Amino acid sequence: MTLKTLLTATAVSALVAGAAQADVKFGALYPFSGGLALLGEESFRGVELAVDEINAAGGIQGEQIELVRGDAVDNNQAIGEARRLISREDVKAILGTYSSSRSIAASQVAELSGIPYFELGAVADEVTGRDLQYLFRTNPTAETMGIMTIDMILDEIAPGLGVEASDLVIGVIHEDSAYGTSVAGHQEEYGAEKGLNIVTVQGYPSSTVDMSSLVLDLKDRGVNIVLQTSYQNDSVLFLNQSAEAGFEPDAIIGGGGGYSLTATEEAVGALMEGVLDVDFTQYAVNTEFTPGLEDFLVAYQNKYGEEPRSGHSLNNYVGAMAVLEGIGAGEGFEPDQIVAAVKAIDIPAGETAAGYGVHFGDQNQNDRAMMMGMQWQGGKLVTVYPRDAAVAEFQIGD
Amino acid sequence: MDTFLQIVANGLMLGGLFAIVAVGLTLIFGIVKVINFAHGEFLMVGMYLTFLLSTGMDVHPYLTAAAVAPALFVLGALTQRLLIQPLMSARDEHVQIFATVGLSTALMNLALLVFGADIANTPAHGVRSQVMLGEVRILTGQLWVFGAAILLVIGLQLFMKKTRTGRAIRATAQNRAAARLMGINDKFIYILTFGLGAACVGLGSSLIAPLYPTSPTIGTYFVLIAFVCVVLGGLGSIPGAFFGALVIGLVDALSGFYIGSDLREAVVFTIFLLILILKPSGLFGTRMNLSHVSP
Repeated sequence: MTLKTLLTATAVSALVAGAAQADVKFGALYPFSGGLALLGEESFRGVELAVDEINAAGGIQGEQIELVRGDAVDNNQAIGEARRLISREDVKAILGTYSSSRSIAASQVAELSGIPYFELGAVADEVTGRDLQYLFRTNPTAETMGIMTIDMILDEIAPGLGVEASDLVIGVIHEDSAYGTSVAGHQEEYGAEKGLNIVTVQGYPSSTVDMSSLVLDLKDRGVNIVLQTSYQNDSVLFLNQSAEAGFEPDAIIGGGGGYSLTATEEAVGALMEGVLDVDFTQYAVNTEFTPGLEDFLVAYQNKYGEEPRSGHSLNNYVGAMAVLEGIGAGEGFEPDQIVAAVKAIDIPAGETAAGYGVHFGDQNQNDRAMMMGMQWQGGKLVTVYPRDAAVAEFQIGD
Repeated sequence: MDTFLQIVANGLMLGGLFAIVAVGLTLIFGIVKVINFAHGEFLMVGMYLTFLLSTGMDVHPYLTAAAVAPALFVLGALTQRLLIQPLMSARDEHVQIFATVGLSTALMNLALLVFGADIANTPAHGVRSQVMLGEVRILTGQLWVFGAAILLVIGLQLFMKKTRTGRAIRATAQNRAAARLMGINDKFIYILTFGLGAACVGLGSSLIAPLYPTSPTIGTYFVLIAFVCVVLGGLGSIPGAFFGALVIGLVDALSGFYIGSDLREAVVFTIFLLILILKPSGLFGTRMNLSHVSP
């Protein structure tokens, strides 16, 4: 063998290997720097694990997936990076985005270019509310959260207290940015639909330093169920000032944010005991309802050498797995072929690592996406609702 | 009736809280004639110091004031010496205000970098326990804040009226040029006053820390309200800031209950605008002295 043939052979095999590794490109658009970088990166890890798993099993449609990262550090850059991924990197679809505002900005670009955009983590209603053709969302939303809190009252709290649900006096309070306002709006709307007695809906700025008047108002109205959608500071303030005013509702249901964080529990101590919380699937959940969760945790630990820092990676992993496998079951990577393939996805509840199923319905929103009902018990946040996913008893009443 | 009394009590306690932040702000404005937008971040820095000292050494957060107030004095004095003083000769005085805005943003982001966005909890050491005054519940910590605010106002008034340094400070505020002719070192007076104003909020931060979770953005809300109190009381007036704070605390608590928690800020800032339009000198204010403009 001459040197020339040897070199040619090496070059050819390198080319083949290279091609096999970069058969089909997908964009991953997340905030990798700036203020949202921590959870943006955490979200991306979920996608990365999904791609590793799929590539190890042979890829999709016989081709390996290559992820191209785009840094959505702010709304403008999200748009710029989406353009770059589409025109320069020639990605077949984009996965993202963690932040709702960046998702809304970047998906507009993808829509105009006719490139499918898969949102795996942003919760604002407007993401899917714009009737985009190429935008799909796998994760639960502000509406899911609102509905879930009301369902929890109907299914568990009213029976647990031994009263009719319509006899409960419910107060809805929320921080007054888009997040709290939209969750509270859905709670009010869906609660009224179910005949619940919601006596007040009140917003407040999340940076407030005093909620004593609000607490007295709730106490005065005889409220016994409080729904609060909040961040950390206002969760702590409400729980502390309620205790100080001698206001003891039968149940407090938090909406994500502050109520899911251990630091909040440390701040208020025993006041957190029994408090309920609706949020994305966390890790203390019945794994029979979330098959694949344990494998996910092992894969995460192996790749990153630490525990997941939040549930974001899990939810992005589940969304990416469903979408990529869906595309794998289809034919070709042209936009319309991808759309046809993901519209055929039909995964029932209880068959993904986050528990919820995947099926794109109205406005391309996953109509099987759901959150979990959790409760602080003995200083730990454990899943209690729905019962299929529960790891502990729902504790309510005496 | 009980509810009403409770709201009034909550409002007064809240007013005490605003007062202890507002006093330092009005002091700096009254003497140095600089609106310190970083005042809220001084509070935040003080609260983190209190948190670190009281958890690190396991002492009562109030005791840490002995270290936190001097530390804030140094921070304030340095701010005046290194940031404001070089800008005092600038043609446009607004530059100083922008400088404090910049300092505010820098401190907040520094705190985000060092402490993260999570809240820090200073152990309460009993100041979250309640006392009953008749049917009204009040936290002991709130009473301490209220009492400290009164003592601070009285103490500052005595200092300004009775001591040589205090008189020198007032002289500098009244007429900088004349004060210099009398042999007063005006630059030193400004550094001292800025430090003093920061030390006031330092004392406040050690009292406030066990009552509220500390976060990098805690200062922004306090400082906005403190501005309203200072304007209501009359810019530069120390007793004015105190009574202004009590009024704002009461308005805040009553409107939060009777009008709605989403509108309480609207009510407070409507009052702010009305004062500016109708009585710009505030409740206790005198006519603005602009002698500092001349060199």
